[in-house]
Amino acid sequence: MVVDGQIPEGDLIRSRTDADVGDTLAGALDRELTGYVVFEPQGSILLGDDERAVLTFEAGVPVLAYHSASDTGGDNALDALSGSLFHAAMYELPPAALESAHRVEELAVAPTAPARRLADDAALADRTREVAPEDRLADERDTSTVEDFLADAERIEEIKAEARAEAQARADEWGLRGQLDGSE
Amino acid sequence: MVEAFAVASGKGGTGKTTSTLALGMALAERYDVTVIDADTGMANLLFHAGLDDADVTLHDLLVAERDVPVEDAVYDRFGMSVVPCGTSLAAFEAADPGRLREVVAELAADADVLLLDSPAALGSKSAVLPVVLADRVVVVLQPTVPSLSDGLKVQEYARSYGTETAGVLFNRVRPDEDVEAISEQAARYFGGTTLASVPESDAVRAARRAGEPLLAHAPRDPAADAFHEAAANLDVRTGDAGDVADRFRSAVVPDRP
Repeated sequence: MVVDGQIPEGDLIRSRTDADVGDTLAGALDRELTGYVVFEPQGSILLGDDERAVLTFEAGVPVLAYHSASDTGGDNALDALSGSLFHAAMYELPPAALESAHRVEELAVAPTAPARRLADDAALADRTREVAPEDRLADERDTSTVEDFLADAERIEEIKAEARAEAQARADEWGLRGQLDGSE
Repeated sequence: MVEAFAVASGKGGTGKTTSTLALGMALAERYDVTVIDADTGMANLLFHAGLDDADVTLHDLLVAERDVPVEDAVYDRFGMSVVPCGTSLAAFEAADPGRLREVVAELAADADVLLLDSPAALGSKSAVLPVVLADRVVVVLQPTVPSLSDGLKVQEYARSYGTETAGVLFNRVRPDEDVEAISEQAARYFGGTTLASVPESDAVRAARRAGEPLLAHAPRDPAADAFHEAAANLDVRTGDAGDVADRFRSAVVPDRP
C-alpha cells in the first residue's frame, strides 16, 4: 500500500483508539500537519480485515486518500471508509518525503473533501478551504460542487449568521455601533 | 439625484476594479458618474484608468493637515469623473479614513451615480467603510464556492449597516461554467438582481496593461457587452444629493485603519 511504498514511514506523533474523524482532521489542520494519518475502523483489527485508509496532508490540508482493502484512491477511498470512530495514528514527515506521492493524481482528494464526506462538517471544510493553496481549489470551480454548496440552505444560513455576528462584534471594536441598522 | 454604490467582493481576484470602471463607463452614457477608489490600502484603480502619474489622489484629500481642494483629485477620464487613490504606504498611513465621508459628501453634490471601488477584505474599519457609507452594494462574484461564500459575507456585513444589495455580477466566467443554473440558485440568497454574467476575457488583461478601462480598450469584446447589460439592469434610484451628502457627513466614522 501507499504507506509502505511511496510514502516513507513518518514519526508517530499521535495515536488514538477512539478518534472522531472530524477531530482528527481538525487536529491535523491546527498543527499544520505535513505527513499522514492512518485510519482503521474500530473492530477491524479483531475481525482480521485490513480496512485501513491513509490520508496524507500538506501543511494541514488533505492531499491524498487510499483505502487498502478496496484498493481505491481519492473520493472512492473516502467513501470506502465506513464508520465514524477509528483508531487514528498521525505521522509527521518532511515535505520533501511526500513530493513524489503527491503527484499521483488518481489518489488526490479535494482539500475539503474529507471534512465534507467523512466528518460532514461544513465549518471545518470552510476552515480548510481558507488555508488551502489557491491552485488546489481549482476543482471548487466545478459547477456541481458550486451547485451542491448552494443547495445546502442550512450551510448558507450558517455562513450568513456567522457574518452578521462578526459584523456586530466588530462594529463595537471599530466604533461603528451607531451605524448599524436599527441602532437609531 | 444621486445614488452611491459600493462595488465589493470580499475576495481578491474577482475583477472588482475592472467591473467598477466598466459599470461606470456604461452608466456614464446615461448619468453623471463619479468613480472613487475607496480601496485606500491597496489602490489599483489608477493603473486601470491611465492615472499612474496623477499628482493629487484621494490620499491627499484624506490627510487632515493638507488643505487640498477635493476637485484637485478628480480627473475627467473616459466620460467619468475618476478619483484615484495613491499607492504610497506612507501616504496611506498618514491618511485618515474618517475623512472619506467628507470627501464623498462633496463629490455626491455633482454626481448622479457614485461608484466606490471597495477593498477586497472585511478585516479593518477602512475596509468596511465603503459598504457602511453606500446606499447599496453591487457584489462581484465568480461562480466558485470561495467567492460565493465571501460574497455572502460581504452582503451580510453591508446589511448589518442597512446597505442592501442592488445586484450581483458574475465575472470572469469560463466557457465551461454553467452560470445560469448557479445564478438561479444564488438568487435565493442574494438580494437585488443578477446584473449579468461576464465572460473571462483576454481583453481585460490587455486593457489593464494599456491603462485603459475595458470599455475604452475593447468596446466590442463580449465582456464589454456583458458590462453594458449589467449597467442596463442596475436600477439607479433617484435620491436627493443633499440627503446623500448629509448622510455621509453625519456618519460616525472610525479614526484609524
